[in-house]
Amino acid sequence: MTPRLKRIMALSAVVVVALLVAGLATGAIGASLTGSESFLPEPEIHMPPQKVFVTDIVEGHEGDAPEEEHAAGTVGAGDGFVLTNTMLSSWIVSVLLIGLFFAATRRMALVPRGLQNLMEMAVEALHGFVEGVAGHSNARRFFPIIATIFLFVMFNAWIGLLPIYPSLGFRDEHGIIVRHLLRPAGTDLNMPLALALTSFVFVEFWGFRLLGRHYVGKFIRLENLRRGNFLQVPIDLFVGALELLSEFVRIISFTFRLFGNMTAGEILILVVTFLVPFVALLPFYGLELLVGFVQALIFAGLTLVFVVVAVTPHGEEEHS
Amino acid sequence: MADLGFHIPSLIAYVVNFVILLAVLYMVGYKPILRMLDQRSERIRESVETAERVRQEAARQQESMEKRLDEARQEGQSLLAQAREMAERYREEEREKARQEAEAFIARARDEIRRERDEAIDGVRRHFAELAILAAERVIERSLDAGAHRDIIERVLAESPSIDRS
Repeated sequence: MTPRLKRIMALSAVVVVALLVAGLATGAIGASLTGSESFLPEPEIHMPPQKVFVTDIVEGHEGDAPEEEHAAGTVGAGDGFVLTNTMLSSWIVSVLLIGLFFAATRRMALVPRGLQNLMEMAVEALHGFVEGVAGHSNARRFFPIIATIFLFVMFNAWIGLLPIYPSLGFRDEHGIIVRHLLRPAGTDLNMPLALALTSFVFVEFWGFRLLGRHYVGKFIRLENLRRGNFLQVPIDLFVGALELLSEFVRIISFTFRLFGNMTAGEILILVVTFLVPFVALLPFYGLELLVGFVQALIFAGLTLVFVVVAVTPHGEEEHS
Repeated sequence: MADLGFHIPSLIAYVVNFVILLAVLYMVGYKPILRMLDQRSERIRESVETAERVRQEAARQQESMEKRLDEARQEGQSLLAQAREMAERYREEEREKARQEAEAFIARARDEIRRERDEAIDGVRRHFAELAILAAERVIERSLDAGAHRDIIERVLAESPSIDRS
């Protein structure tokens, strides 16, 4: 290590420590000790996403909903389709993904370079993952949806870490942001639910498609009825009902796993930023990058496992 | 659920968005990339197979080359042996021919010698007969019939063993 580099590193360390100290002093922690104003306003947490364009604020004053709710512009049950900040973010992610793939595959060469190489590596890794679980013949069928779930979930989680996400928005008269323009789509319950429903339909579709009536046999077990083992019939019916129930329970577990993780991450980052505005956030960014990757892997991986289970012939059916 | 933000139009929108994203990514991303990956693995497989084939071909060619070289060496050696044998035979024949020629020459020379000796003896005889006649003429001082004299002389000569041809 050259002395010059050493000096630069020492200087950087001093700056980082100074920022951390400043963060501790000016953040919510320091402010409460000194009794002064915190550097950042206390974050407001809204579970429902906020609308990007609010037209009915004026009307809101006459309505029965509290004024604060209208200022925040959260989506309510009475709204039709409105563009929310989470949906805007998901669109940005979609455009980004399409743009990445488009740029990578525009001029493809047999010897890949640059972006093509990177995207090929990603696709190859994902395809290898799908192939490892589903086998060679099914890999091509399942790959597109698994890969899209993975990329969509991961990029939606990661894009929320960009600093413009918490800083862009519509401010009130005190300069405090009341409606954010962008918010990671994972924190909108509807996004994980939409993915979970897609995943459910995908699994059931391939189950029916590849196993036909045998797939239904997993839920309505008539094997013992046909054989005359009537004592077994109630048990079979119960097991079939459980199987059927577990298919639907997956939707809920999928939804809330992703929604919970994304929302918790978002809140964690907001709160840590509020408590210590500088430096202290960095480890949490690292953590959130990991969480985004892991959640994407879990969502895509579980969908893959479920679909593989669905298309694997049932043991009893094979004997008949 | 509404407190958590559950909102059916948004849900539908997300599903639609996801399906569109899936379709577009399939068209612009997965399909071309997977095709490219397949092409590449196919190319690599072909290359490996070609390399293997070329290697085998080379080995076979080397083997055949060595075999041919071996054959050529053997052929050369047999040719050499043949040539040596031929040369030997030729020399032998030449020697034989020369010997025969020499013998023929010697025989011819002997014949020549014998013939010349015979002629010489004949000449000498004739000469001697003439001389004898001449001498006898001188002795008797008269000319005799040459033919009658010659007969006499021939008889004399035939009776005399000392001047025989052999």
